[in-house]
Formats: sequence, structure tokens, C-alpha cells
Amino acid sequence: MPDVSSPSSRRLLCALRNVSKHFGNIQACQDIDLELYSGEVVAVVGENGAGKSTVSKCLYGLYSPSRGHVEVNGKPVAFRNASDGEKAGIVMIPQELDLFPELSVVENIWMGLERPRYWHGAFNSSAMERRARQLLHQLGLIVDVTTPAKLLSAANGKLVEVARALNANAQVIIMDEPTASLTEREVSNLFSVVRALKRSNVAVLYITHRLEEVFEVCDRTVVLRDGKMISDRPADQETEAGLVKKMVGRPVEQLFVRHFHEIGDVVLEVEGLHSGSTFQDVSFQLHKGEILGISGLIGAGRSEIVETLFGLRDRTAGTIRLHGEVANISCVREAFDHGIGMVPEERRTLGLILPFSVKNNVTFSSLLRFTRGIFIDTAAEDKFAEKAAREVTIVGAGLDDPVSALSGGNQQKVVVAKALARNPRILILDEPTRGVDIGAKSEIYRIIDGLAKQGHAVLMVSSELNEILAMCDRTLVMREGRLVSSFDRKDFSPDEIGSAAAGVAVNPSVA
Amino acid sequence: MSHNPDTETFAGNPSNRRRGSAYFNTLLARPESPALLFLILLLVVFSVTTNGFFSASNFLGILEQVVIIAIVGLAVNQVILSAEIDVSVGSVLAVCAFIYGNIAMAYGGNLLPLFAALAVGTAIGFLNGVLSTYGRVPSIITTLGALFIYRGLILLLAGAQVLNVPKSSRVLGLSDLAGIPVSVIVLTVLTAAFYWVSNNTNWGRNIYAVGGNESGANTLGLPAYRTRLIAFVLSGSACGLAAAVFLGQIGQLQATAGTSFELRVITAVVLGGTSIRGGRGSVFSPIVGALLVGVILNAMTLNRVPGTMELFVLGVLILLSVSSEGLRQRYLEKKI
Repeated sequence: MPDVSSPSSRRLLCALRNVSKHFGNIQACQDIDLELYSGEVVAVVGENGAGKSTVSKCLYGLYSPSRGHVEVNGKPVAFRNASDGEKAGIVMIPQELDLFPELSVVENIWMGLERPRYWHGAFNSSAMERRARQLLHQLGLIVDVTTPAKLLSAANGKLVEVARALNANAQVIIMDEPTASLTEREVSNLFSVVRALKRSNVAVLYITHRLEEVFEVCDRTVVLRDGKMISDRPADQETEAGLVKKMVGRPVEQLFVRHFHEIGDVVLEVEGLHSGSTFQDVSFQLHKGEILGISGLIGAGRSEIVETLFGLRDRTAGTIRLHGEVANISCVREAFDHGIGMVPEERRTLGLILPFSVKNNVTFSSLLRFTRGIFIDTAAEDKFAEKAAREVTIVGAGLDDPVSALSGGNQQKVVVAKALARNPRILILDEPTRGVDIGAKSEIYRIIDGLAKQGHAVLMVSSELNEILAMCDRTLVMREGRLVSSFDRKDFSPDEIGSAAAGVAVNPSVA
Repeated sequence: MSHNPDTETFAGNPSNRRRGSAYFNTLLARPESPALLFLILLLVVFSVTTNGFFSASNFLGILEQVVIIAIVGLAVNQVILSAEIDVSVGSVLAVCAFIYGNIAMAYGGNLLPLFAALAVGTAIGFLNGVLSTYGRVPSIITTLGALFIYRGLILLLAGAQVLNVPKSSRVLGLSDLAGIPVSVIVLTVLTAAFYWVSNNTNWGRNIYAVGGNESGANTLGLPAYRTRLIAFVLSGSACGLAAAVFLGQIGQLQATAGTSFELRVITAVVLGGTSIRGGRGSVFSPIVGALLVGVILNAMTLNRVPGTMELFVLGVLILLSVSSEGLRQRYLEKKI
């Protein structure tokens, strides 16, 4: 893409000077020197726990650095809180949607900012709405601005957050994994927004786990490892493999793990499954030892299908057969009894009890295994948790530490260990590697591969096409609540799966 | 700023609803509207079926009956919207009433006792608020402690005292302007003030933000503690004002006055459609909720339903309203 900004318009907006931050005796980041210029997109990459979020929190004022300082327009500043940072033009867009669910889009766009007023002091709501519509129009989003934020999709919610940042006159926008919950098409639209921000001379600090995004949209890459800055170079001088090497600090291992596994009889058969208006007429079979993917856009009804299979959602029609027998799964307990385990999409809210210890999280859905009479055999529980934690290689905290102390990747491993604790014959994984660093990803793939080899059946919902392509034996594609196609491994093609999910005809370049 | 013209993906489903139906849905989506519809329905039904219900004097009577709950409800509503709770208002009301009564008996007049009651209520609210925010004590505990402490103090210091407030100091309870009780006028003005402040000040909007998504509020650097503290302070001040109306209406006071008042206030707020989890509700919720309770109790009295039924009816009402709210939310999510 041609860079329209001339060198003279490249202006230093803000910088971290020699910034260190420690919590107690834990050094979260150390001697970070980072400059941000107008009109550039700077990628910050690193594994979980490398200090990416600490660095960004120091920049926008949520944390005050233990040593060093933040500089804005060449002058040192001391932010006391996030709103000081915002006043200086540095705005954060967090990874998880952080809108106010009950408030309207307009209210969200103006929250925490100086609202326009009439001469008599009342807020000028029509001016507020006008501004909101104008900003959303710039971002190419058409929604009723009086809609409560809770009714927005993840992608639209992200754009509302960008609109709010623009409304705060942001010079620097920090985006923490903005694409984590977006589908491919939404991602490419977000990229065009990022490029537009760049053209209007905003600097974007782009934190991501997806390295291909770095090369698509970023000008400069900063690699962090163990709280230290490992490199800061133009993106066109980097390669994906080189970045990974710097991030992990050791030679790159193979990310995806896949061994031959034998595919056996049908274990799960779904026929004509409906659930209200969320999905209709879904039929498929899952075999022993098979990894079956469910691909599609967010909101296509993928999570809803697996929730129905797991008894979290009522089905309105259709039959579920397990090993040839009709199974009536109406609650999670029945799903457990039928040997179905699930790793849910939102690990923090659905998968884990954050203040509980690692051990209690691993065992708490299968406590009956360790129960003698009415008492829990804690020795057996300890032994089991220890073994489970070793199998999924949980690192970063002891078994008795709260699970909230772990990094995202390790938390996810705890959720997997919990699901495996009941020894399910069918394991459902909903976005198993979302927000997980490369090391932990590879571990999770290894676990999935191992399960299939042992003859478990795996059903994997994923928005990451690479993951589906590399891991699955077969994939289903959902669109707007319907199963639109199915691909065997030998027929896998990213283009065809992508266009089936988006409902667009394949570009007939060959014909 | 230029942008990608591919708006289709971002747009999702742009709404092309007809204007009228959109207006209807917006109205229906307001938190207090089910309670309001139910209230209107009851007004019609009771007007037809119950002798003596449909009259100006009866309506003013109902208003006077609910005015104390409604005044305190306006403020407690803000506390609940910010995802906190204040269960101390029964005792705080009693403390303020004792202050009002004693000062009125010693010095007479209306303004001096009112200011004293307001000052004491405000101070108690401030203390509750500081402990619940900066002190990091959960507000259910802070205010439960306060509920017992202030009731205990009254029993200790004034357990045997009988207060008889002179008529000249009961303006807020007894007098009227153009046939409308002063207390009802005060409530109307206060409601309008709360409405204006809620919609037109940063504090008013922040209450919803802090109560609806605390981590989001922190990311934006909204002053969460100060926002909640102000709600607690208002709750205390409202008790001071309500105490003046309360004493003005009944004229005398015992140490047990206002017992379980806090539960009635919370009932009114929740019946009116404010979510007990915070973040969702309307300024008018406590008014609508209090009127609903007032109308039902009034009709029961007129129909000679024994007063012993009162608590039972209130309980059923709460469970019905909260469980129907779940159904309504489902309907709205499909609709919008």
C-alpha cells in the first residue's frame, strides 16, 4: 500500500522512556523504550506474560511506572489514571468487549467524555446522537444508535469502541487483540478501519497473537519476552518464523501436532436438530477417533449447536443418537452421563471459577469420583489433579494457587484438564485456542491429537481457519443457523471453506 | 477520513422498522414500563370495581401514603443502579426523625429541624458510602451494620422518649398548596430534579456505567468510588428529608419507628423495574413501584381485605414482577 504521509508529517506523539513496572517482587516489564509516531501502526507481539498488557497499561495511564516515565509531545507526563491518559489522547480498546450493556450506542460513545450541552446546561442529546452517527458512518457501521450495546455483535461492538476512541480525539489508540473474537471477514474490515486511522495520522499500538496480521497491517514490530524488549524493527524486515523465534526465545517447534488416528464407528449422530431461531435442521455424524471441525462466522449458530449437545440449550426439534441409541440430553448432567465433555468458549466466565485453586478447578465437575460416603477423599483428589496438571503441562502456578494467577494459555489448559477429568468419550471444544499464546496453543493441539489417537471423538468449533485445516479430519460449515456444507480433509481449501461460511460464490478464476 | 465502502458486513441488519413500531418498542423497552402498564390496568380495574377508589381525595391519600417510600426510593434507586445496596434506610430515617423531633420540640419551626435532619442523614450516608467504596467493605455489610447500629443507638439513648411534635413544626406533613399536600409537591420537584440530574450530569450517566460494567468503567477511568459515594450520600440526605415528612404526618414517634422501612423501599425500586444487579433501571422506577404498592394496599383496605394480608400480597407481587421481567427480556431480544 502506498504510504501517503511524507517524512515531515511523521511526528513523535508519545513515548515510553526506560519504563519498568514491578508488582511486589514480580518484574512485569523492564527498561522499555518505545516511541510512537503519527500515522504508524506498531505491532506488539510476545507470548502471554511477556509484558504486552503491562506496557500498554503504563502507556495509557492505568498503571504508573515503577521506574522511567511516559512522554507525550516531547514532555514527560505522570498519568494518575486512565482518564488522564485519555485526556492526553491515548485511548485503550481492551481485548474483551468493554461496553456498557444496558446503555445505548450513543451513551457508550460519549461515556467518560465531555458531552455537548445546551445553553441551559442540559446535555444536548441530539448533538450527541449526530456525532455518534457521523463517527459510525466513518467506520462504515450502520446501526440504530439508540440500540442498547448488549444487542450488538462482537464485531460491531469493537467498532463502537473505536468510535468512542475517535470521539475522545485519540492520537494514539491501543488495540489489545482486536480480532480475537472476529471472523475473517470482520477482521479484513477492521483492517481497513486501522488503515483509515493511519491515514488520519493516528498512531495505533496493535497487540496481537496472530502474526499474519502483523504483516498485513503493521509498519513496525516490537517483540517482548519476559518483560524485556527483544527487538523493534520495521515489519518488512521481519519474517513470521523470525518473530516466533524471538518471542519464544528458542527454535520454533511445529505449531500443529497431528498424527495418524484411526476413525471408527459413529458415536454421535444428530438429525434434524433445531433450536428456536438460532439454528435449524442440523444433521451430522461424529465418529470414534475423529476430529470434526465446525467452521463459520460468529453468530452462525456454531456455539449454539454444541451448547445444545451439551444440554445447555433447549432443542425444539430433532434427535440426538449416541452409539445408535436415542439420547435425550436436556441438562449438563445428562450430557456428562452420556460421556460428553465440553471446553466452553468463554473460559473466564463459563469455564473457570477464578478464585478457586487450580486443583479445585480441575476436579470440581468430577468430585463424585473422589467421594467416599459424603466426604471428599482429598488425597485422591490431590493425586488426580497432580496427574492431570502434568498431562496438560500447566505451568506458572502451583496446584493450590488460584487459577486467576495463571496466564490465559495455562488457564485454558486447566479448563481442558477439567473436561478430561470425567474421561469423556466425546469432547466438545468451543474456540479452544482463543487468546492463547503460541506455546500453549501447541500444547492444546498436542492434547487434542492425543485424544483422537486414543479413540475419543472430538468436535471443535473454531474461527481460526488454520486450526481447522491443520487439525480436523472433516469440517462442517455453518451459515446463518444452517449447515451449508461439509468438507473431507482431502478436499480442504481455505477459499472454499471461507466462501461457504460467508455465503459468497467462489471466485471462478479457473473456469 | 476515508473509509472502505464495504459497509455491508459491518452493518449487520440495519433496522428498517416502521417509525411507529420502533417508538412502541423503545417505550416497551423502558425498565419501568411493565410496572407502569400494570399500574394503569389496576387503576382502571379498581376504579370500576371498588367503591370510593376513583376520587381526587383518595388519589391524594394514596400519594401521601407512598411519599416517604418514594422520596427515599429515588435515592436508593441510584445506589442500586450503581450495583450497590443500602439496607440501612429504616434506621437512618428513625435517627433523622428523632433529630427532627427533638430540635422541633426545643426550638420550634420547620427549617432548623429540617436542616438538622438533613445534615445528620447526609453524614450517615457519607459514612456508609466511604466504608462501602474507599473502605472496600461490601455495601450489604456496611449498611446492615448501620441498620443495627443506628436502631441500637435510638433504643439506647431515646428508648423511653415519647416525642410529640407541635403542629407548627409539621408543615411538610400537614399543610397543602392549592389543595395538594406539600409533601406531594416536594416529591414531584425531587423526582424532576433526579430525572434532570440523571440525564444531564456526568455523575448521573456514570451511575449506569459503573453499575452495568465495572471493569469497563475502570478502563475509561470513570471515578467509580466517587460516583457510588454520592449515591450513598443522597440516600442519607433523602432519609433526612423523608424524616421531616414522616414526623409531619404522624406527629409522634417511638423508638421502633420505620422498622422494615428499608425493605419497602427496595420493594418499590425493584417493582418499578430497576435491576437489583445494577446498571439497568429508570429514575421513575421507585415512583411507579411505590404507587403500585400504594394502590394495591388502598384497594385492599377499601374492599375490607384484612391488613394481615399485606405482607403476603407484597411478597407475591415481587416474585411475579421479577420473574415476568425475565420473560420480557427474552421477548425484547427477539424484537430489537
